[in-house]
Amino acid sequence: MNETKRYDAIIIGGGHNGLVTAAYLARAGKRVLVLERRHLLGGSAVTEEFYPGFKFSTLSYVVSLLRPEIIRDLELPRHGLEILPLESTVTPMLNGDYLGRWSDHDQTRRELYRHSPTDAEAYDDFGKLMYQLAYAMKPILGLVPPDPTSLSPKELLSLARIGKHFRDLGEEQFYALYKLMTMSSADFLDEWFETEPLKATMACSGIIGTYQGVRSPGTAYVLLHHYMGEIDGVFRSWGFAKGGTGAISESIAGAARRLGAEIRTEASVAEVKLKNGRATGVVLENGDEFDAKIVVTSVDPKLSFLKFIDPEELPEDFAEAIRRFRIRGSSGKVNLALDGLPNFTCLPGEGPHLRGAISISPTIEYLERAFEDAKYGNFSQQPFMDVILPSMIDPGMAPPGKHVMSIFVQYAPYALNGGWNDEKREAFGDAVVNTLSLFAPNIKDLILYRKVLTPWDMEQEYGLTQGNIFQGELALHQLFFMRPAPQWADYRTPIKNYYQCGSGTHPGGGITGASGKLAADIILKDW
Amino acid sequence: MNDAYDTIVIGGGHNGLTVAAYLAKAGQRVLVLERREHVGGAAVTEEIYPGFKFDTGAHRIGRLQPEVVRDLQLAKHGLEVLPSDPSVYAPLPDGGGLTLWRDPQKSAEEIGRFSKQDASRYGDFAALIDKATGFLASIYGEPPIDPVSTKTADTMDGLRIAGRLRRLGKHDMMEVLRILPMNMVELMDDWFETDILRGTLGAAGITGIRQGPYSTGTAFLFLHHHVGITTGALRGILRPRGGMGSLSAAFEAAATTNGATIKTGSWVERIDVENGKAIGVTLVSGEKFAARRIVSNSNPRHTYLDLLDPMNLQPAFLHRVRNIRMNGVCARVNLALDALPEFKDAPAGDAHLRGAISISPSLNYLEKAYDNAKHGELSEKPYIEAVIPSLSDPTLAPDGKHVMSILVQYAPFDLKEGVWDDANRAKLGDLTLETLAEYAPNIESIVEHAHVLTPLDIEGMFGLAEGNIYHGEMTLDQIYFMRPVPGWAQYRAPVENLYLCSAGTHPGGGVTAANGYNAAQVILEDSKKKK
Repeated sequence: MNETKRYDAIIIGGGHNGLVTAAYLARAGKRVLVLERRHLLGGSAVTEEFYPGFKFSTLSYVVSLLRPEIIRDLELPRHGLEILPLESTVTPMLNGDYLGRWSDHDQTRRELYRHSPTDAEAYDDFGKLMYQLAYAMKPILGLVPPDPTSLSPKELLSLARIGKHFRDLGEEQFYALYKLMTMSSADFLDEWFETEPLKATMACSGIIGTYQGVRSPGTAYVLLHHYMGEIDGVFRSWGFAKGGTGAISESIAGAARRLGAEIRTEASVAEVKLKNGRATGVVLENGDEFDAKIVVTSVDPKLSFLKFIDPEELPEDFAEAIRRFRIRGSSGKVNLALDGLPNFTCLPGEGPHLRGAISISPTIEYLERAFEDAKYGNFSQQPFMDVILPSMIDPGMAPPGKHVMSIFVQYAPYALNGGWNDEKREAFGDAVVNTLSLFAPNIKDLILYRKVLTPWDMEQEYGLTQGNIFQGELALHQLFFMRPAPQWADYRTPIKNYYQCGSGTHPGGGITGASGKLAADIILKDW
Repeated sequence: MNDAYDTIVIGGGHNGLTVAAYLAKAGQRVLVLERREHVGGAAVTEEIYPGFKFDTGAHRIGRLQPEVVRDLQLAKHGLEVLPSDPSVYAPLPDGGGLTLWRDPQKSAEEIGRFSKQDASRYGDFAALIDKATGFLASIYGEPPIDPVSTKTADTMDGLRIAGRLRRLGKHDMMEVLRILPMNMVELMDDWFETDILRGTLGAAGITGIRQGPYSTGTAFLFLHHHVGITTGALRGILRPRGGMGSLSAAFEAAATTNGATIKTGSWVERIDVENGKAIGVTLVSGEKFAARRIVSNSNPRHTYLDLLDPMNLQPAFLHRVRNIRMNGVCARVNLALDALPEFKDAPAGDAHLRGAISISPSLNYLEKAYDNAKHGELSEKPYIEAVIPSLSDPTLAPDGKHVMSILVQYAPFDLKEGVWDDANRAKLGDLTLETLAEYAPNIESIVEHAHVLTPLDIEGMFGLAEGNIYHGEMTLDQIYFMRPVPGWAQYRAPVENLYLCSAGTHPGGGVTAANGYNAAQVILEDSKKKK
């Protein structure tokens, strides 16, 4: 059969950004259709029950920067969004000790004192500065990037405003911000702290999803993100969605539906229909066709411009920019169903630390060695791991007495020497479990089920090209007006009526909804 | 107390001499104080073994600031700059290698032996690099902007630079903006597939810094090293006829003929400060000199932390100074040879040896060398850049013999285990010869003398902190308005009447005299205001 329907807007991909754009367009009275390739919505933000009774946030597992205006505008809590705070971050050390940071400021301060009084003092000053810098960066993240090559007064004015914004930060903040943009997280933190597990654990945020080490310049900037959630007053730092990350997507989808958007799953787009240089609709793998005034893609730039449309239709500069857009995946994910609770040698038994994040990042050198494996095409033998037990925060995630463990793993390069296969996937899973068992020896006996996801799986299963969790590396030369390509960073594309709203656009990465919201603003402006 | 001078310059390196010459030319009474027995700083030619003259410090120069060459009449004072052709010869361990010539066309033909695609792209790449370096050159000859100043003049400076960027045209402007924060691996991925070409170009992005080609910002350093190199001559090398010493001699002549006084063997112990103003200097010998202003061509860290009493500086400022990263990683090996090295399956004749010789078979080779240094170890297989100046200038060595200056990287200043003692110095020398021997098997048999300088030796000899050849690592967070410290990048110091002019200031390292030129302009401007 070959049905043809008419819509105002078709959104390719039911990830959280696509759903946000859909909701906002529907809210503006447009007739919206969302097409999701998989059987469930959410893209990388999904909750799946791979093993009876155990629910996993398969890929994305924590949330920090979901824009508060989106939560308000779309009334997400009404649609089931509930964020539970992650109370702490505990870093087991190689000597059997640990470093804990807790939601209780005084407790953290006492703990830091135990390791280094000077660090305990510096920690508050550091926090204050980062808070100010996060505050300074926030408006930029909520801004449609201007085109620095344009001579139009509008663009020039926007550039001037940005220039003035940064200039007016004053000396201390401006230079600190510049350093953040250009330094490695290790070097930046060296200027403040001496405690290895503290520096290493903070530095980790700079390497998540990137193809860089903690000593690679440019990794310091992401340190800021941990302070941004705080500003919005939504919740402190990282949080966890009740019902798993999929619940976030579901709540946005719920809002979109209620506002009148139509959402179809198992509808895999094969191509975007063009008529004399304008997007007019899409064709599905099964031959179904849908027409619309505009088409919005929420998938990554490679698929959006090199697969869905014939690159011949694009200006050569743009096509070339998309071809060389860096999108190397470097992260893996291991999800475990556990028969009981892990017993960490540094903090034996059950305790509050199990309701927070356990960070396997004992030293800067440990992290850098992990990167060295990846640099030469191997997965890290002893990787950085961000471990949480969602079932400790939300008992609904696992049967009584049992638990689910989510392990984010850095590094697992997409371009593994010899390529990925089942054998290597399991070898990777073993490396993760073995490393974890160094700190929690009983973990191996608890495992009922193990689901290992490599960048290759993320590409196959979740449509992330090369398994890059940010739909494009967050490197300096791929940010702001460079993301995804110079002169096309404003959510428009060289193809008329074809827009982009995924993480491959500014500000990119993480469950923020910012790209989806900004794209919707532009689309409605053009309408 | 000696009678007062208008200006005292601490350190007789080429930047110090440049400042001295300009100020003397403007009628000031200038005194240059040099710790060693001769001027030149790290640009010196020394006869270490009878008949063998070595460029013991720098062995090549960058783009000399054109105004300096003109205003100081350096040619008249005997400076002649010789561009080397070929630019570089990069041997392969199994024999043969890649030669890059000054003529991009000729280089492309060479590259064609490895990859037709790379050969076809080389010209465009060289042209792009030329555009990018042209932009850098334009900001190297003026003080950095003050990004947080609200003065209209400073805002205009910023807009002028933005204007220059725009004049590159939409496409090239964005290309330049894109390249600046990249790493060499990504830049090479954009263009080339041949390992030896990628490694040999990539090496220009890591020279002198404790970073590898995978590190962000190495693309900038690659551009930095190509500023002012004639179009298309990637890895091109400029050398003064007669060795680096003759360059310093020309600067010395320029300073003295303009009336500056130079005292060598004068080791400055401290800068004397009175109610927040620099008033003179005291030598280690106890001798004192007074002046209306002091210009330090010494390392910024040394100037602020050693020569000055920290009591004269704000804690926040001192914090920034202490955070200047040096990360010295370069060692130097000077070889006296009784014949030329013979590289496996090298082209006939010695043409290929007349530029730089670069041991850089691949980007991963360089990165692995960096991995060692990152963990505080000497590279197992180091990056090597060598020159044999005696080929083009026979006066540097006895008849039929040769001198070879070798830069060895990475040799971290701060070793994780042990210190830079004689044992480690010997180890470094052996490693260098072993590495070269893999490519030129006869090397060990032709060495008459080997003179090894560890980063510690380099620090002691030239006053380069931690042996960093740039007076401060050339990374994105330590250039332009961040150099030497944010807020004080315009050659003035937070102590009145004190100025800086070393490579530790914008535009950084390399023998260019731009630092001295910019500093001199700022000083002359200030002295006008005071009158």
